[in-house]
Amino acid sequence: MTQDVEMAEQAPPSNSVTSASPSVFHHLKEIASLIETGAYAREVRRISRAVRLTMVLRKKLKVSSLFAFLNFFLLPGSDLHSRLSSFLPKEDEHDMEVDTASSGTPTPVKHPLPEIEIYCYLLVLIFLIDQKKYNEAKACSSASIARLKTVNRRTVDVLASRLYYYYSLCYELTGDLAEIRGNLLALHRIATLRRDELGQETLLNLLLRNYLHYNLYDQAEKLRSKAPHFEAHSNQQFCRYLFYLGKIRTIQLEYTDAKESLLQAARKAPQAALGFRVQCNKWAIIVRLLLGEIPERTVFMQKGMEKALRPYFELTNAVRIGDLELFRNVADKFSSTFSSDRTNNLIVRLRHNVIRTGLRNISISYSRISLTDVAKKLRLDSPNPVADAESIVSKAIRDGAIDATLDHANGWMVSKETGDIYSTNEPQIAFNSRIAFCLNMHNEAVRALRFPPNSHKEKESAEKRRERQQQEQELAQHIAEEDDDDF
Amino acid sequence: MDPKFTEVSQTFERFKAAFVREDFDTCTRLLSQLKVLLTAFTSLPPLFQETSNAIDELTIARDIYEHAVVLSVKMEDQDAFERDFFQLKPYYTDARGRLESSPKEYSVLGLNLLRLLVQNRIAEFHTELELLSQSALDNPCIKHAVELEQSFMEGAYHRVLSARQTAPDVTYDYFMDLLAKTVRDEIAGCSEKAYDRLSTSDARQMLLFSSDKELLQYVEQEHPEWEIKGGFIIFQKVKDSVPCKEIPSLQLITQTLSYARELERIV
Repeated sequence: MTQDVEMAEQAPPSNSVTSASPSVFHHLKEIASLIETGAYAREVRRISRAVRLTMVLRKKLKVSSLFAFLNFFLLPGSDLHSRLSSFLPKEDEHDMEVDTASSGTPTPVKHPLPEIEIYCYLLVLIFLIDQKKYNEAKACSSASIARLKTVNRRTVDVLASRLYYYYSLCYELTGDLAEIRGNLLALHRIATLRRDELGQETLLNLLLRNYLHYNLYDQAEKLRSKAPHFEAHSNQQFCRYLFYLGKIRTIQLEYTDAKESLLQAARKAPQAALGFRVQCNKWAIIVRLLLGEIPERTVFMQKGMEKALRPYFELTNAVRIGDLELFRNVADKFSSTFSSDRTNNLIVRLRHNVIRTGLRNISISYSRISLTDVAKKLRLDSPNPVADAESIVSKAIRDGAIDATLDHANGWMVSKETGDIYSTNEPQIAFNSRIAFCLNMHNEAVRALRFPPNSHKEKESAEKRRERQQQEQELAQHIAEEDDDDF
Repeated sequence: MDPKFTEVSQTFERFKAAFVREDFDTCTRLLSQLKVLLTAFTSLPPLFQETSNAIDELTIARDIYEHAVVLSVKMEDQDAFERDFFQLKPYYTDARGRLESSPKEYSVLGLNLLRLLVQNRIAEFHTELELLSQSALDNPCIKHAVELEQSFMEGAYHRVLSARQTAPDVTYDYFMDLLAKTVRDEIAGCSEKAYDRLSTSDARQMLLFSSDKELLQYVEQEHPEWEIKGGFIIFQKVKDSVPCKEIPSLQLITQTLSYARELERIV
């Protein structure tokens, strides 16, 4: 549950090329100017770029550069300035960078742009979380959320969704997630009213996470099924959504759908988000086992996952062999892992599948076998093993797990000859489902293709350029989605 | 003492007295009075206001709803059970930190699990199960329901039926009886697929009937397609009715056409 937290925060290295020589403060100033132009031109794309650049700087943030930044953009002594600086630890020595003093002359505007204001909050909040000052972070995030409620600008949405995320994160880190549930719901309502789709997406995920943290699957599903749906804006949020959806469906026994969501989440997740992908894989393995499938060995051998998936590998092995004794041993051996993964209850459900596989093996190997032997082979430990074996076998026959008949008078099970599968429609169905999968994949890929706007136009008149720029502005909205996909 | 609170506790005492006498009419009447009275307390869910005697009010309200749940079982009213249980649930979840845990809690939760099992609402059963801690799962009441579900899923029906003797509380009997009926239908359904024929005496034992007459009646009502001949029940007829295989030409044509259309788009 905790491993997927950090998924979004891995910035691609390509952005950090420029950050070698100039100071952090200098970079922050550049980012701020990016935000400013973005705010004036109403270009959401620039703002999300600014957020990404900030993530690159994250490791290098220091109190001094933060102070410099706040001094530069906010009026010292103003309400916001004093509030934000109160969260930051006091500086021991005055090692303000040299360029602060010289560039400090252009007195900041009395009322900074709301975007800049929110950005300051975000910067301080990230710094506090990285420094593990969670109580300050909680106070800071709450203050920022209060401020956010009063700002209604589309250019703020990107920053806001980040703030929501960190708001929830710092409460989770201190273990008080339940406290902010009402607040998150209110924020989700506000985001919906303002048609802030990115915010809705982020908040819905945070709420789902919040509910699932306390195993409130019922509430989570009710919220999920009633919340408005739209095309995903951010890949990360979509992955998370799929993961939560998969978990909910697993608990509610909709294994086929659950498998689909979990596998999709694992596939779509960025490479860097290893913890998240491990979680997805763990759940997907269990769901596949519950469906009666045996995951391939390659699933367990994925890079960086072998160790984490080891208990699940042994579990799969026990299910594959259909040995109840071995299954019980594995479940006991790794019970601490399973309970920390919160998959314990699912593993209890698997017992039934182990019996089924064992039964299938028996029915394939023997053409006729007495029920006493079946009970012995399945190692059913009950006061009346033969009667249990009989009813278990008859249920398996009804559910179509094995093809056999029972003879009550003689007390044995007679397996039917396995028919020639190629004389049935089975191959046709399998063929069709595979082709459909490929075609669907192709169509999805085509739909996901995006092209840079007007890349073929080389020369144009000034008038045309103005026209084009206007068009580009509209397009920027769409590109913002794509940009989000990158980080 | 708050006069409203005194009124509630007095009515509740009368309710409990009637409850012990098994005077269910009086119980229902008093219960609806109590529920109306409880609405006046602001400390109860969903408001949860921090009033001075919040703890007392919460405790008595929880006690009332626990009795209501048990009453509904005694009156064999499943809808009322569901209603009362959902009213009770916030006291177990949201007020957990403020109240001492109730001695009846696990018994009531176990009853609810059993109800979901009887109504075949397995998804909800598992959702409820996720809410329970490890220590709760070890509680005999909960464990009983969990094991029942497992045996039920496996098909070990004898274990389900013998669990009636080990039921942790008398209130469980009502649901266990219902479960027995469900189990009988399940066994009948499985038998018709698994056996070619079955002697009536074996069938009677398997379906838990005390006399052949009951069995014949059951077969007539639930499974008129079974044939009874010479002391045997013959299921063969059911299996013969499986339609013989033929090439699903129409489906194949539509599939092939759709492949062609899709390929056209790609090329």
